[in-house]
Amino acid sequence: MKLILTLAWRNLWRNKRRTLITISSVMFAVILAVFIFSMEQGSYERMIDTTVKYSTGYIQIQDILYDDEPSMDYAMLFDDDIKELLEEFKEEIDYYVPRLQSFALVATDEITRGSMVIGIDPVLEDKMSELSDDMVEGEFIASGDDGIVVAEGLAGILNIKIGDTLVLLGQGFHGATASGLYPVKGIVDLRLPDLNNNSIYMSLETAQWFFAAENRLTALIIMPENPSQTNQLAEGLNSKIDSEWYNVLTWEEMLSDLLTLMQFDMAGTWVLMMILYIVITFGLFGTILTMMIERRQEFRLLFSLGLKRIKLAAVCFFESVFITFTGAIAGMLLAFPVVLYFFYNPIPLTGGMAETIIDYGFEPVLPFSMTPSIFYTQAIIVFLISFVVGLFPVYKVFKFKIVDNKGKSLKRKRNS
Amino acid sequence: MKTVIETKDLTKIYNSSVAPVKAVNKVSLDFVEGEFTAIVGPSGSGKNTFLNLIGGLDKPTEGQVIIDDTDISGMKESKLFDFRLKNIGFVFQSYNLIPVLTAKENVSFIMLLQKESKAKMEKRAVEMLEQVGLSEKLNSRPGQLSGGQQQRVAVARALASKPKFVLADEPTANLDTESAFNLLDIMSRLNKEENITLIFSTHDQRVIDRARRVITLVDGAVSKDEKFESRK
Repeated sequence: MKLILTLAWRNLWRNKRRTLITISSVMFAVILAVFIFSMEQGSYERMIDTTVKYSTGYIQIQDILYDDEPSMDYAMLFDDDIKELLEEFKEEIDYYVPRLQSFALVATDEITRGSMVIGIDPVLEDKMSELSDDMVEGEFIASGDDGIVVAEGLAGILNIKIGDTLVLLGQGFHGATASGLYPVKGIVDLRLPDLNNNSIYMSLETAQWFFAAENRLTALIIMPENPSQTNQLAEGLNSKIDSEWYNVLTWEEMLSDLLTLMQFDMAGTWVLMMILYIVITFGLFGTILTMMIERRQEFRLLFSLGLKRIKLAAVCFFESVFITFTGAIAGMLLAFPVVLYFFYNPIPLTGGMAETIIDYGFEPVLPFSMTPSIFYTQAIIVFLISFVVGLFPVYKVFKFKIVDNKGKSLKRKRNS
Repeated sequence: MKTVIETKDLTKIYNSSVAPVKAVNKVSLDFVEGEFTAIVGPSGSGKNTFLNLIGGLDKPTEGQVIIDDTDISGMKESKLFDFRLKNIGFVFQSYNLIPVLTAKENVSFIMLLQKESKAKMEKRAVEMLEQVGLSEKLNSRPGQLSGGQQQRVAVARALASKPKFVLADEPTANLDTESAFNLLDIMSRLNKEENITLIFSTHDQRVIDRARRVITLVDGAVSKDEKFESRK
């Protein structure tokens, strides 16, 4: 094996310039692929993280009908059965966040606007969304507080300040009228423009009173101990919960539209990358083909000396593998620090592009991902390329004729 | 004297289905141990084809090649590879060495394939390179050697594994007079010292003048088989 690897490696450097050009092409393809996939994956991860953090959480328990019709009428009862279930899975659950939310009209002296009123447990919600860190004015609410926290965008629209009182008017549980006056205790920057222009937070107790929904929640958000075990935890909860009344949803189920959009977008990137890799494959194939053609006499010598076809085929195969892997490793080593830099320093977007991103309800930055799969996927692709290209010399070696009889018969004809 | 190679009605026909050309035509010859033979003849007379057949590089259309009591004419390719590895040394006209290996590695190459111990390989490679006057060039690659030096390394490699015989295909064709004489001196000496059978295919009068047996091929058949026992 050492002989095979030595021959393969040294053969590569017989024509340094050609080998370096081929390695460089693989290297730049890998850098480009890692960069693009990291950017794309980073954007998706940011979207998902933001949505999970501020909106859905990893798992939600809801009333069985709430997902199809998110109405206060389908607020679930947070009773002892649910609490016992949570106790049963306490090893897998980090914490849970109760929410009661519905739309209501919010009015000042001059302006009325529809908004989302979200009843929260201030401590648990803060643990999940770190809302208190995003306070721009005033204070965050405490449990049982009568005051409310208004999102900065909505506060701007309503032109309100700390200490002002807002009128809330909506529909409570089973058609009850929900109305009340609530002083503004704080203003929070929710970052996601969609939420930032529409949200009002109040303590869970206050919201349950406002919506006349005592002990009821529209969603119980479950934050798993290990987010990668989300699906297993959801399956466990689903198997134990009373499925006649409750529904357990993962973030993937709740954000299925967003995920489909992402997959569609990712498919486009994959097509582009595949075109790039096909070009690289042909470049590599050209190099390997040239190496084969210019070594016909050497092959004859090696066979004459007794080197078996399988060993020479292995030498040629490893040449292809060495070129692609040297390029891939160099590409990953160069791409890593660049991606790492942008992972910590996302590229801020400006102008029309930023506005488009904001319209979709996300932060106008291009974040990067450091997910290992971005790197090892390139290694797998490169291995497949080297394998496919490497099969050609293997085939040629097995078909190689040690004595070329065609040449001999032509020579004889010319002589005769 | 022990017969090393025996050919019986050895025939090779190229292009047999379209326009058959008899490259080797019913050649029956014996080569004994320690012989220094030159196979001569005009271009296209069948010298190289004959060498390819007795070297197991090509298959005869008819007839037999018997080496040390083993008929190799019907042998499967994988067995032929092993057979060549153990029994036959080759020196070609050009492109004799593996370009990415040093002189010492080239000489060790066959022994490496034969799975000899590293110590034995090293010792024998150095010894053979000393014998061909290249002890200073152990770690030089072929590109750093002259044509004559490359041929001497090829001879060292061919003899290092102590094969039953060495086939040399016009080894002096690309060499200047001094290098050619030098190479022939070395090969003659090793032929005597190691008692290895040498068979040359050649046009070169310098080789023919040293050979103790000269076989002339014309149109694939033996036209003359002369022995010069007095030559040393």
